[in-house]
Amino acid sequence: MSSLFEILTSDYGIHLAILIGIYLILSQSLNLTFGLGQLFNLAHIASYAIGAYATALLSTETEASFAVCIVASVALSGLFAITLGGIALRLANDYFSIGTLAFSAVVSALLINWKSVTHGVLGIAGIPRPVLGVTDFYQNGWFLILLLVFVVIVQAIFYVLMRGRFGRTLRALAEYEQAAATLGKNTSMIRNFAFLFSSAAAGLAGSFFAYYLNYIDPSSFSLQEMIFVLTIVIVGRPGSFFGVIGATIFLVLLPEPLRFIDLPSAYLGPLRQLLHAALLFGVVWWKRDTLFPTQRKV
Amino acid sequence: MLTLSDLVVSFGGNKVLNGISCTINEGETVGIIGPNGCGKTTLFNCISGLVANTSGTIALRGVEIQALEPHERARRGLGRVFQNFGIFREMTLLENVLLALESNTSVISGFLPWSKKTKGLSNEALSYLEQVGLAAKANEKAASLSGGQMRLLEIIRTLALGSDMFLLDEPTAGVSPRMKEDVASLIKKLQGLKKTVLIIEHDITFIQKFCSRVIVLNEGVIVLDDTPEKVRADSRLKEIYFGSDAA
Ligand SMILES: Nc1ncnc2c1ncn2[C@@H]1O[C@H](COP(=O)(O)OP(=O)(O)OP(=O)(O)O)[C@@H](O)[C@H]1O
Ligand SMILES: [Mg+2]
Repeated sequence: MSSLFEILTSDYGIHLAILIGIYLILSQSLNLTFGLGQLFNLAHIASYAIGAYATALLSTETEASFAVCIVASVALSGLFAITLGGIALRLANDYFSIGTLAFSAVVSALLINWKSVTHGVLGIAGIPRPVLGVTDFYQNGWFLILLLVFVVIVQAIFYVLMRGRFGRTLRALAEYEQAAATLGKNTSMIRNFAFLFSSAAAGLAGSFFAYYLNYIDPSSFSLQEMIFVLTIVIVGRPGSFFGVIGATIFLVLLPEPLRFIDLPSAYLGPLRQLLHAALLFGVVWWKRDTLFPTQRKV
Repeated sequence: MLTLSDLVVSFGGNKVLNGISCTINEGETVGIIGPNGCGKTTLFNCISGLVANTSGTIALRGVEIQALEPHERARRGLGRVFQNFGIFREMTLLENVLLALESNTSVISGFLPWSKKTKGLSNEALSYLEQVGLAAKANEKAASLSGGQMRLLEIIRTLALGSDMFLLDEPTAGVSPRMKEDVASLIKKLQGLKKTVLIIEHDITFIQKFCSRVIVLNEGVIVLDDTPEKVRADSRLKEIYFGSDAA
């Protein structure tokens, strides 16, 4: 027992807990659009990247405070969702996912090529940890506590969104959009709001990611990352609030035992990706009949 | 109540509705019949805004609505019951009715799942389900219902929405003979509430129970518009259904 406690409070345990916290925000917010709304949103990591870069740039270039950085990250990612929603949500089904993919490709290209702002592949270093009054969060233990406060708030908000009338309407749209519309539901407004909430939360996760690592570069926001978050939602069962929480913890921890196998570190990354890919494929295969139900139409 | 003027709907050059003009009076129950593929469902889709009309106008209580979105038309009192079942199968019966009730409240009221407002709406939804004898199944998924029960749920859900004009697309299709009676008495109830009802049906005997007027549609145009008795007696009806030889 004491050894478990030691692991949990060790630097390694705290590191894992911080990763879980960041992914909890990221995956639960994707669960709203992709899970409950069946919107195959592939731009979620782009929202995450925008949040991360907003915090990274503001805190390194202007020494903006924690509150300013958080608000800016959330707002910019939200703005991104409004733009994306305005364009991509006009597209039907498969074209919608291609539209979101195109948007995330644009964001990736900007991160790499708009060097005067993003520093390209060199990334942004020296991001200071947040400081609140006399408290700073340079120690990971304290940073974890700060993060957990936000994790709890975000999960509570998404719980209300998903279990209440908003989620009910979103589910209705996913099942039979035309029937929902004739029941008085403003379908495009509901979807745009789902996008806004989801993207804004991803921006918050990005902000914490930048603060935690002190350094970000475009490689953290690759398609690989998108697939990882999608895997979490699919393994947790799309639309299931607690399922996605469980899957986040499970999937972040899953590759960790690999570290203790005597393996050259060059194999570790690819092995982890292989593990996730195999799991994703397995679940999609196993649940192929129910995972992506087709919309009914008149 | 509803006036259609020269309504045309075409899908890629194929005119499915070719100049529909008629007026439905308030409180009237009108039957619409016609052979398969003659454009009945398309007419309802066009009135409820799910397909755009190519030309012509639709006026509800004197106001043109053809440019409005489906949800805006719904909020003006147009209720729709779908031929292929418009209920949400993955949701409970209660949620199906709640969705309708929530459309009449402001977006933030009842936002918290455990709020008093939500409780109140749930009780109201339950009372609607009681009216069609489905209250005991309130927390079951709608997918578990029989065809007839699904029709009842969809009609009562539309009543909960507060619609005053009902577009019923083949409400007895997929319904057992015994349940047809339940559907019929629910439609009678709508009449009792002074609702305006349009019913698409193949079974003219069923329609005769409620309608003082029947519209016959063929190849996108109105062929007949008269009392059920006169429509039945008209040779053109047989012509449409059996070809001119049988007439
Ligand atoms: N969205 C659409 N795009 C192209 N063609 C359509 C569309 N909707 C309907 N049609 C065509 O319009 C014609 C009329 O269809 P509609 O569903 O209105 O017939 P209906 O009278 O309701 O028939 P039924 O009695 O079988 O329900 C059909 O030939 C159908 O294929
Ligand atoms: Mg039809």
